[in-house]
Amino acid sequence: MKHLWICASIVGVSATALTWAQQPSANWITAGSSGMLPAQMEFATPTGKVGVLLTGGPVEMKDHPFFTPLGSNRRACVTCHQPAYGMSFSAEAARELWRRTNGKDPLFAAIDGSNCPDQPQELESSHSLLLNRGLIRVYLPIPKNAEFSIEVVSDPPACNTSPTYGLKSANPMVSVYRRPRMAANLKYVTNPGPAIVLKLGALADKDPVTGRPVGMNFMADAREATLTTQARSASLGHIQAASVTDEQLRRIVDFESQVYVAEISDRNGGNLAEPGGPASLGPKAMADHKPGVLGDNDYDPVFMLFDAWKKPGHTPQDQFRASVARGADIFMFRQFWLRDATHINSIGLGNPLKRTCATCHNAQMTGQDLSAGWVDLGTTNYPRWTEPPLYSAAQELPVFKVTCKPSASPHPYLGRVIYTTDPGRALISGRCVDVGSIVMQQFRGLAARAPYFSNGSAKNLRELVDYYDRRFEMRLSETEKQDLINFLGVL
Amino acid sequence: MTGRAIKKRILAALALLPIAFAQQRSFVACPIVRDTKTVPCFLAESEGQTYFLAIQQDIQADLYPPQLLHEVLVEGTVAPGPPVCGGIPLKPVKLSVLPELNLACNMILPAEPGIEAPPTRRPAGPSTKQAPVIPAGAPPAARPAPPQRSAGPFTRRDFQITYDFDSAFLFSRDTRVVSQAAAYATAAQAKTVEVTAHRAASLLSNGRVLTENEAIAAQRAERVVDILRGLGTNPASIQVHIVPEVVKPDGVTDPEKRLLTIRVTP
Repeated sequence: MKHLWICASIVGVSATALTWAQQPSANWITAGSSGMLPAQMEFATPTGKVGVLLTGGPVEMKDHPFFTPLGSNRRACVTCHQPAYGMSFSAEAARELWRRTNGKDPLFAAIDGSNCPDQPQELESSHSLLLNRGLIRVYLPIPKNAEFSIEVVSDPPACNTSPTYGLKSANPMVSVYRRPRMAANLKYVTNPGPAIVLKLGALADKDPVTGRPVGMNFMADAREATLTTQARSASLGHIQAASVTDEQLRRIVDFESQVYVAEISDRNGGNLAEPGGPASLGPKAMADHKPGVLGDNDYDPVFMLFDAWKKPGHTPQDQFRASVARGADIFMFRQFWLRDATHINSIGLGNPLKRTCATCHNAQMTGQDLSAGWVDLGTTNYPRWTEPPLYSAAQELPVFKVTCKPSASPHPYLGRVIYTTDPGRALISGRCVDVGSIVMQQFRGLAARAPYFSNGSAKNLRELVDYYDRRFEMRLSETEKQDLINFLGVL
Repeated sequence: MTGRAIKKRILAALALLPIAFAQQRSFVACPIVRDTKTVPCFLAESEGQTYFLAIQQDIQADLYPPQLLHEVLVEGTVAPGPPVCGGIPLKPVKLSVLPELNLACNMILPAEPGIEAPPTRRPAGPSTKQAPVIPAGAPPAARPAPPQRSAGPFTRRDFQITYDFDSAFLFSRDTRVVSQAAAYATAAQAKTVEVTAHRAASLLSNGRVLTENEAIAAQRAERVVDILRGLGTNPASIQVHIVPEVVKPDGVTDPEKRLLTIRVTP
């Protein structure tokens, strides 16, 4: 079958009412748009193009619940899950949208598109975390079974100390700020796991409909069991719908379950999905491959083999591809001391563990963890967090002091008093050992959706690689860093 | 056997006891990591001696290594033979990562010529299809048995888990046991599934006694019952017995007393 990859800008002009596609800055689909979403799309990224494939064929957006506002704030699912941005969105896109709409787009809805709903919504500063880092406010109660207490130490966004929305309000909530995850490649992300989660030594959550265990791998804190429960929760929360029907939920899940996203071309690497190239690249590879394959091995690796790009050559494209192939090898084979990572070192593997990136990022095609993937890498917890010092004027995120009860099992590497910008999974499980643990994200379409990490702290792939280099004392050379950046950028 | 013969055997056994006890080592120490050209070794020092504890393996291993930033309770027997990775080998050995932090436990030694880790089936990098590096004559790798449907006739059967000191965590090897018990209970349509959880103490070689926290037996039972129920064991059949009393430790069999038993009675 010949796959004709259609540039969305052409489609927008030629055949449909997709005015959003006429220029890069206008690739944003506003909730309530109508027109046919093509089955194959490409959108410019800073380093090339991201490809979006709908395996079910074109989709009419008009009246489709993924694209239609269902609630009072004029948002739809597409508001935060934009095809042009790898079914998420970038902070740069949010800034452009603010400029273009003067902050009136529903992305900036007070409920969670601002630092706090009680701040003046017309001011950019009230949306600083969304504009600077692409973060959405997630507000959660402290679990009733919590093994810890939480105090607010510092609160630049001023929501946790808000008399209306804060921890001491009539309806106490912890506000944390997280990047929206990409609503694509979901057969991998929702691949069912075993009944017992290896990392917990406890039962996995179950699908409330089928009763089967779920993978617990598709939200930052794994709080929702299935795409359906997530869609319901998001509709009632982010979208502020009064209700949502089962039919609407079914259509939302059906749509997002057939969306595949990956970088498809690179300005230096050329066509990434050409025949004979690395078999993992491009959205069609994502659609065709099977989920649930362990890639932490040297014969069928996480992103398969890049041997085709190792051949010597002198063109800039050859050299770039060789760099990508070296980056893939660094990812798979470059050993370092992996240490003090809760739910990796603490589950029987020992601390430290002399391994590679692929030990944790072991799921083929996505680079997530096949086991329920929440890990305290350190991005949110002091002292390894990604943030500036606590009392720095540059501090943007709230800081909490989490004090674990004497009866609780302590956090394995931080003990019973933990300073954190996001307690992560602990806000769901209530467990002290989970403070700061965040579910891994998939590695696909990264070029389209900076910044990175759940807290949006890495503005680009260089900052992401630098964090790992510091965190695990990898001592990567400049060449190795660039190889890793090039590798991650083509996924 | 004559009375004289029996007496002779008893005396012989008694004569061996001090030797056996002399070979027993129970101590708390910071683990020390020794890098090698392959996987790291984990060592610990006690009373001027360096002991080899474990090497890095993977989650399927029988023995899990300790953790830096935590002390480790070592309960083992000195094994004959040359030093391993620069330490006196202990076999069998039970290693318990003590739950509280100890930031002083943070030593990683570099690889040195002449100090090598024992052969391992899993290298430091990703797993490999290459033939595993195992000594000639060594038994094949013990792989977890595939899940089998329990077939009758069904009899009373015990499933046992032993824990790390002061821990209720169920490692992969432990959850396999709970799964087997649940499968057996379902297949046998068990009348009762009795979960009996203990807490224990450990007599160290220096005479000090470590006692597990008071709540640990209940925590152990709670986690196991949760899994049994989740795997379909009839909740009405489950009976829980918490044994709070601590048996006097002997410095030899103490790890076996950090025990949970699931008794399935058809």
